[in-house]
Amino acid sequence: METSTVTPHTNPTKPRNFLDRLMDNPVITKELKGRMRGRQGFIIIGAYIALISFFIVLIYVFLALDGSISNGDPSFLQTVGKVIFSTVILLELLMLGFIGPALTAGAISAERERKTIDLLRTSLLSARALVFGKLSSAVIFLLLLIFTAIPIQSLAFFLGGVGMTEMIISTLMLVITAIFFCTLGLFFSSFSQRTLIATVLSYASILISFIVFLLCLFFVAVLEGAISNYASQFLENTVSIITWFLFSTNPFFAATMSEAILINDQSIFMTTNNIMGTSSIPLPSPWIIYLVFYTILTLLMIRLSIYFVSRPDR
Amino acid sequence: MSSIIEIKDLTKRFKTRIAVNNINFNIEGGEIFGLVGPNGAGKTTTMRMLVTLLKPDHGEILVGGYSVRKQPNDVRRQIGFMPESFGVYGDMTVQEYLDFFGACYKIHPQQRAHLITDLLDLVDLGHRRDDMVDTLSTGLKQRLGLARVLIHDPSILVLDEPASGLDPRARVEIRELLLEVARLGKTILFSSHILADVGELCTRIGIIEDGKLAALGTLQQLSERVMPHRQIHIGLLHRKEEAQTLLQSIPGVSEVRAVENASRILLELDFSGDDEAIHQLLANLLSQGFPVIHFSEESKNLEEVFMRTTKGIVS
Repeated sequence: METSTVTPHTNPTKPRNFLDRLMDNPVITKELKGRMRGRQGFIIIGAYIALISFFIVLIYVFLALDGSISNGDPSFLQTVGKVIFSTVILLELLMLGFIGPALTAGAISAERERKTIDLLRTSLLSARALVFGKLSSAVIFLLLLIFTAIPIQSLAFFLGGVGMTEMIISTLMLVITAIFFCTLGLFFSSFSQRTLIATVLSYASILISFIVFLLCLFFVAVLEGAISNYASQFLENTVSIITWFLFSTNPFFAATMSEAILINDQSIFMTTNNIMGTSSIPLPSPWIIYLVFYTILTLLMIRLSIYFVSRPDR
Repeated sequence: MSSIIEIKDLTKRFKTRIAVNNINFNIEGGEIFGLVGPNGAGKTTTMRMLVTLLKPDHGEILVGGYSVRKQPNDVRRQIGFMPESFGVYGDMTVQEYLDFFGACYKIHPQQRAHLITDLLDLVDLGHRRDDMVDTLSTGLKQRLGLARVLIHDPSILVLDEPASGLDPRARVEIRELLLEVARLGKTILFSSHILADVGELCTRIGIIEDGKLAALGTLQQLSERVMPHRQIHIGLLHRKEEAQTLLQSIPGVSEVRAVENASRILLELDFSGDDEAIHQLLANLLSQGFPVIHFSEESKNLEEVFMRTTKGIVS
């Protein structure tokens, strides 16, 4: 072999924009290629679309057999449109919760298991590039899932009842949810020695947060009865605000309540309704709280993941 | 020649166990340096600190003047590291595998294409460039690993047990490849349990035991230290006792042992003297009519040096 001089990337090919920078990360290219090379990627996309389609067809057939659709009542058709749209969104939220962590729980830990992590750590690939590369490739795949489901969501437009605002808000929520669930798996993967442990921790944390949410529901129901007759207005408002914020971190609550506020208050951003129904203080719509909360949590977990990947062995 | 690697007072502790204990040595540019020692002696820990994977508790390592503590990226640019057991991405082709690591070292895509062709030719994998990595045998994966460590044209290669788990043919091929790479001007630091390979390839050898550097030098220097005598083998047809008496009276001969086998008499003697003295010894025997059928000096053997230097202590 000729002894050639290797020079690092220099100015002429310096990435100019976000997309260039993204595609300049070798991990993204490698992961995406790997994911789409085999059958696995296509099977996931196919199963995802098939499952959503199945439920939509089920709802439609159920209503068609009832004879309500053939009557052609516009308000009823709008309701059908809303039901179909909401079902798709809720199904997507549920499936993202399953698929997201599965895509990333092995991102770093599998490199440890495969004994390739040392090869990466001794290269010039930074921990940040590794984490962002793994995360971006998983998120890109989930975005592909979300966007492939948009034509099914759009069925609702034929029936009416769903506006562009709902479409945008729901897509935003889905995107943030996808990024969050991918980051969750990646976070546990960044310090776990085994992928199995990272996977269990990811799903356990989702399950625990759901149980905590149910406990909160129960607690609020009890609290409502206890303080409604005796507590001061201030205490009532404080409890009301805290509860509102807590509940808005649940994707199903946030999606359903945001839709309800949009219909009842005709408002996108604010509402005076609240969970206890006793106060009239203005509160942000749950989807805003949801987006802000999960964006902050995602950024925090990305930062911690980079820290865990970059620290030298001790 | 100047030192390309400087290891000063290097210490690493894992909880209560001292894995590396105050090690000091330098490696010159262009050397093939062998690190040998029993399992758990501290070879891998030393190498992992050198390649920035482990943080030293005390001491310093300078690679090309850069500190592994303070300038890890500058150190990584100069080093190509192959761990003892390393994984490969089985779902990539040979070419994609090298291209990925080339990109990890921020090498321009066009330059990568040329480099990959050159490297695959060097390790004789050009005909497998479009095959999936998973389909390669262990020996071929090891060759691919060697191509990988060369992708960014490092001046130093750090190889932890490069011949581990290979069949004899693959082992010989890796040894030849290392010599080829050394001819390109690379400095090679490698550890191995195959002492014959280390003895044959290395310009200098460091023996580590119990986290400490027990011996350092060329094979000749190490041999002289632990085996100060030259060992001479003399084969005779008969007159064993007479020859023994004569040899014991020759200055420089410290001990004569008889090793008899079925076909002939074999004498083994420890001798201190230069080549001229050895010539005189043989001439003496022949002039007195001894039926000498074999005369040789035992070559310096790293295995013997290793066994005499180490005590089998593991930290």
